Amino acid sequence: MNNLHGLVFAYRSSKDLRELTQHRNTCSIPFGGRYRLVDFALSSMVNAGITDIGLIVHSSYQSLLDHVGSGKDWDLSRKHGGLRILPPFGYASATASDYFGRMDSLAGIRSYLEDIRQDYVILMGGDLAANLPIKQIFEAHRKTKADITTVVTCQNVGEPRSCTYLSSDPDGRVTDVFVHPKSPMGCESLEVYILSKQLLLSLVDHCATHNIHSFSEGVILAMKDRLHIHTYEFEGYVGRFHTVGGYFEHSMDLLDPAVRASVFDPSLPIKTKDHSNPSTYYGPEAKTSNSLIADGCKIEGEVDHCIIFRGVTVEKGARLSHCVLMQGTHVGANATLQYAIADKNVHINPGRMLMGHESYPIAIAKDSKV
Amino acid sequence: MKKECVAMLLAGGQGSRLKALTRHVAKPAVPFGGKYRIIDFPLSNCVNSGIDTVGVLTQYRPLELNSYIGNGQPWDLDRSDGGVHILPPYLGENEQGSWYKGTANAIFQNINFIDQYDPDYVLILSGDHIYKMDYADMLAQHKRTGADLTIAVQEVSMEEATRMGIMNCDEEGRVYEFEEKPAKPKSNLASMGIYIFTWSKLRKYLIADEKDPDSSNDFGKNIIPTMLQKKESLHVYRFAGYWRDVGTIDSLWEANMDMLDVDSGVHLFDEDWPILARTPIQPPHCVGAEGKIIDSLVTGGCLVDGEVERSVLFHSVTVEPGASVRYSILMPGAVVKAGAKINYSIIAEGAVIESGAVVGAVPEKDGPLNIAVVASDIKVGKNATVAPAAMVTKNVKEGGKA
Repeated sequence: MNNLHGLVFAYRSSKDLRELTQHRNTCSIPFGGRYRLVDFALSSMVNAGITDIGLIVHSSYQSLLDHVGSGKDWDLSRKHGGLRILPPFGYASATASDYFGRMDSLAGIRSYLEDIRQDYVILMGGDLAANLPIKQIFEAHRKTKADITTVVTCQNVGEPRSCTYLSSDPDGRVTDVFVHPKSPMGCESLEVYILSKQLLLSLVDHCATHNIHSFSEGVILAMKDRLHIHTYEFEGYVGRFHTVGGYFEHSMDLLDPAVRASVFDPSLPIKTKDHSNPSTYYGPEAKTSNSLIADGCKIEGEVDHCIIFRGVTVEKGARLSHCVLMQGTHVGANATLQYAIADKNVHINPGRMLMGHESYPIAIAKDSKV
Repeated sequence: MKKECVAMLLAGGQGSRLKALTRHVAKPAVPFGGKYRIIDFPLSNCVNSGIDTVGVLTQYRPLELNSYIGNGQPWDLDRSDGGVHILPPYLGENEQGSWYKGTANAIFQNINFIDQYDPDYVLILSGDHIYKMDYADMLAQHKRTGADLTIAVQEVSMEEATRMGIMNCDEEGRVYEFEEKPAKPKSNLASMGIYIFTWSKLRKYLIADEKDPDSSNDFGKNIIPTMLQKKESLHVYRFAGYWRDVGTIDSLWEANMDMLDVDSGVHLFDEDWPILARTPIQPPHCVGAEGKIIDSLVTGGCLVDGEVERSVLFHSVTVEPGASVRYSILMPGAVVKAGAKINYSIIAEGAVIESGAVVGAVPEKDGPLNIAVVASDIKVGKNATVAPAAMVTKNVKEGGKA
């Protein structure tokens, strides 16, 4: 299926993610033991046969570039097409701290859009943890002959204040749009859209000349009667990341086998940067249950209900429950951690005790020493 | 383009002593240490030593090895100049082609490949050893001593020496005698099967050896003794680190168990000398509510709900609730169903041990290990028993014995 082009919005930083976005934007937040959020968008696209992907970035994208590199790990390092990183270029908003919205960012890469080889384009945020069946969504788009197909979930997964909700008629055509309501109304839009390249270009021009920045408001809400906008309901698992508490909840969701079966469907593998870690070693006194543990760790203490990333060390006597430990975290002997998120390379000294609560997990910033 | 040193990796061996494990793959492709295959060790050593041109000589069941090595990307050997090359035996015009007759013949048949790079030195490696070695250091010694051949050696016990190729040398490391499996060894310096030759010399000896109809075209049996006889300069390179031949079931099992002492042996966790491998994409492994893992290595994609003790689990292994796995090696995709008991065994790729089955047993103190082996994709039926030291290459029926 080479007639679909991928565009990933990899610039927005949600402000409520505190320590997690201090050194990176939302798309490169580590998730699920070995992934970055952007892996889900890239892998879903590659698994659908998409060969050309543009990654739209604006600021704080060093960690993202570090992660995606040439795109080799997703087979996107190609002579023709493959992965293209798209920073702002000679455009009014280039000097602002971030794009004002998706239409704004698309106007910033107008010349790239013109050169797209494919007839259709899929737009997707790089901060969605979902294994989307893009092949089926694209087929549905062509079958319904809709102008725009938008993917929704009827389980409420995001913060209503940051989400858009859609209601549709029995045929699936969008009838009403609710932007950032107080509480969920109808099905939640994942803000994933398929449309033709021609329509996209005319929408970008229309919005640029009318000073419209947002896709949800400027296109979906404003044009729902003029354009045929169709919904596609995705029934699998979706993780959206608007707050630290939400991040923690979605991480713990992965301990549920049904969630893992949806996210880590073996026929649609989520690919990520390869690190060549050895297997994880469990010591003679290790005690582990209900946990997801990546390669290259040394576990000698007790671990329960935890998500542990690559290269983590848990020394003897340490007790961890309900924690997310990112790459390279070191937990010293006899330390106790509960409801905590340790970012990359955090060092917890022996005997320390850190307790968050289910409703407010504590987050420890990257490279901190406790 | 000219290269100073080209490595030639002999990977054609059948590995018949690994029996059930090499039914479908060549010995160098046998899984090792949770994430690797045996060949990853010499290949990674090459890359870490700065050698970027490697010929891999294949012959026996090469398909899996070929696709494993592919374009060499996992080892950064996908180069526009040099890189990794698979070298199977081939036919030329008006030539009587043949399989590789011996280790020296395998190199002889690829003289043209080596000549393309016009190297000063050629490093000869074999694909059945587990070790980390800096070949650059060995090459530096080779150049310093001006030797025609440098042979890596390791000190072994006098008892082991009777089973190995022994180098007798003077104080400066010059070899004056080579004895294959001597009954009464004069020294305990065993050859590790790692050679650096000055290419112009080796080329000459390979051509001469090929003309000798009585030669078995082998480095140990022919080339080295002939070079000694002709008074060429042969030196030993002493290596004191971890090095294991994994040519037998017992030695393969023992070397895997050595990896559980993560801070000794080959130091798998040492990031300065990483062992690289082609690994499939797998999510992190999952330990269930009843899972219990001690003193073991566990890899991505595993699901552990049973008990695992002093074992090595490769990727995508399943251990169901109530099952126990002790002192064993479970290769990729192996499944151990509820209540099954595995002791002192090697379960090969994709094999399924049905519930209640018993495989292997704890050996008697100081007795032989009696490792049981279940070959790849074999099914051991419900409540079946696999005896210690058994080699299972056919499905075992429910309640059956093997």
